[in-house]
Amino acid sequence: MENLQPEQPAPDATSAPLPAPLEATGDAGSFAPRTDLSALSRHADAIRAELGKVIVGQQALGELLLTAILADGHVLLEGVPGVAKTLTAKLLARTLAVPFSRLQFTPDLMPSDVLGTAVFRPAQADFEFRPGPIFASVVLIDEINRAPAKTQSALFEVMEERQITQDGTRYAMPAPFVVLATQNPVEQEGTYRLPEAQLDRFLFKLNVGYPTVEEEIAILQGHHAGFGGTPLDVVKAVVSAAELAELREQVRRQHVEPRLLEYIARLVGQTRMHKGLYLGASPRASLALLNGAKALAALRGRDFVTPEDVQYLAPHVLRHRIQLTPEREMEGQTPDDIVKQILQQIEVPR
Amino acid sequence: MACIFIENNRLVTYCLRFLYASLSWLRTLLSHLERPGRRLQLPRQPWLLALLLLLAAPAFAAPAPASQAATRATYRPPDTERLRELRGQREFQYVDVRSEQSGWDLFWRRFWEWLGELLNTRGGRLTWKYGIYALLVGALVFVVLKLLQVDVTRAFGRAPRTGLLAYDVANEDLETINFDAAIAEAERQENYRVAVRLGYLLALKQLADKGLIRLQPEKTNHDYLYELPEGTLPPAFRELTRQFEFVWYGEHDDLTASQYQQTRSTRLRFLQTLSATRNAA
Repeated sequence: MENLQPEQPAPDATSAPLPAPLEATGDAGSFAPRTDLSALSRHADAIRAELGKVIVGQQALGELLLTAILADGHVLLEGVPGVAKTLTAKLLARTLAVPFSRLQFTPDLMPSDVLGTAVFRPAQADFEFRPGPIFASVVLIDEINRAPAKTQSALFEVMEERQITQDGTRYAMPAPFVVLATQNPVEQEGTYRLPEAQLDRFLFKLNVGYPTVEEEIAILQGHHAGFGGTPLDVVKAVVSAAELAELREQVRRQHVEPRLLEYIARLVGQTRMHKGLYLGASPRASLALLNGAKALAALRGRDFVTPEDVQYLAPHVLRHRIQLTPEREMEGQTPDDIVKQILQQIEVPR
Repeated sequence: MACIFIENNRLVTYCLRFLYASLSWLRTLLSHLERPGRRLQLPRQPWLLALLLLLAAPAFAAPAPASQAATRATYRPPDTERLRELRGQREFQYVDVRSEQSGWDLFWRRFWEWLGELLNTRGGRLTWKYGIYALLVGALVFVVLKLLQVDVTRAFGRAPRTGLLAYDVANEDLETINFDAAIAEAERQENYRVAVRLGYLLALKQLADKGLIRLQPEKTNHDYLYELPEGTLPPAFRELTRQFEFVWYGEHDDLTASQYQQTRSTRLRFLQTLSATRNAA
C-alpha cells in the first residue's frame, strides 16, 4: 500500500509565524502549569527535530500539523504542485510508530478501492472482507480532489466515526486514525471541489505556499550535498501509538475559561450571519476550534487556552468550512479575508 | 436660395402671376389650334411636345379664377366683452412681468453676478483656469489615499483617536471603573483571581491613557505587547501578561495570598515603569 516515491523537497513558508510564547522572566515556580506537560513538550520537540532533518523552514506548518495530530483531527494540505505537501505528510507519518498507508486518488478510483471489498472464497463458499488501504493509523491521501464525489463520499463515515460499514458489518479503524490529505487548488486542471460534508470533517485546511529565497537556497544546498535521494530514510519514528494516546489525553484535560467557549461560539456563529458568506461554519467547526486551541496551548507549554490560540487557529479551522457569496468571490475576496473581518468584530474576552 | 425666394412674398406673387398668364396664353393657343376643320399641327420635336403638355396641365386642372366679388371677406368685429375678458387673462398680457424673488434668491443671484464679474477679469480667468486643475489634482490624491487606506494624520504626528471610548470589556466600561476601589474590594474578599484581572485592565487603561497602545475590542494581549515601544516596558508588560493569563485563563480560583502578592508586585513594578515612560507623541 505504501508507495514511496522520491520527491524534491520544497519547503513552504506561507503560514503566519507562530507568536512567541510568553516566557517567564521572574519566578516561574509560582505560575507553573498544573498539568505536567513535559512529556508532551519532549515528544513534540523530538518530532520537530525529525522533521527538521528534511524540511527547511516550515515551522508554522509543522506546528499546525502537530496540533492536529494532538487534537485527533484530519488535515487537508492545499498547494500548487511541488511545494512538498506530500513529503511533509509522509515525514510526519514516519515520525509516528503507527501503521501508515498511502492512497493516490485518481478520477477512476472506486469506493471499494479505498474501503475494501468482500471477496468470494470458493472453498468456504462465503465472502471474506478484504480491508482497503484506509485501514491504517495514518492515511496519506494524495491529490484527494482528483477523485469524483462518489469516491469522496466513501470517506464520510470513516473520517467522522473512525469506522466503516460494509455489508452490514462495522469495522473500526485502529487508534490513532488520522487522514492527511493533499490537494491542488481547484483552479488546477483535472480537480474537483470536495463536498462540503467532507471538508467539514477536516480539522484544518493548511495552505502550503512557496518557500522564501533563503529557504530555497537551503533546499538546494541540502540536495546538492547528496541529501535529496531518499530523505525518508533519515527520519525515524519517535512517538508510539500509546504515547500519542497519552498526549491526547493530556490535551483533552486542558483548561478553557467559560468566556473563551462563548468567544469560540460567537466567532463561529458570526460566520452564519455574515453577509459575505453563502454557507457558514457548523458546530463541528466550534469543536474543532476548541480542540485545536487546547492542543496548541499544550504545545506552547500552557495548560490553559488563551484567545491568542483561538485567533491563531481560526483561519485554518474556518477557511474550508465557509463559502463566499458569488458577489464576494467576484470582488476577489477569500475566506481568510472574511475570517479576519469576523475576528475584528468579536470582542476578546478578558 | 429657395428659402429666400419663398420668404419673399412679393417675388412669389410675381412668379405666380407670370405662370398664370403663361398658362392662359397656352390655353388660348390650344383652343385656336383645335378649331373645326383645321388639323392640329403638333411639334416635331418630342421634348418640345412634352414641355408644352407639362406647361398646359395646370391650366386644365386649375379651376377658373373666381371673381373678386365672390371671395371678398366680410369683416366680423370681435366681441368687445370677449376681448376684455381675454385681455384680463395673464396669458395675453405681453408685458415683461418680473418674477418675485425671495431674499435668498436675490442673494444667490447677486453672488453669481459678483462671481461672474470677478472671474471675467484677467486675474479671475487665470484663477479659474488653474484652480480647476488644482481641485482635480486634489480630488485625485484624495481618492488614491482613500484607496490605499493611508492614514494622513500620522504624517503630522497625531495618532487617530478611535476605539478608546468604544472599548469595554464584557460590558465593563474601562473609563467608568474605579479600579482602586474595585481591586481593594476583591482583595478584601480574597477573590484574588478577580483582583489580578482588574489590575491587568488597569494596566491596559493606563497604557492607553499614555497613548502607548490603542485599545480595540478585538485585540489580544500579544497585540498590545507588540504595540509597545522598545525599552523597559515590553519585558515588564510581558511578565504581567503572562501572570494575568495564567491566573485568569487558567481559572486559578485557588490563587493563594502569596501568589497574589507576587502578581501584585509585578503590577506595581510595571506601573512604576510606565509612570517613568514618556507619553506617546
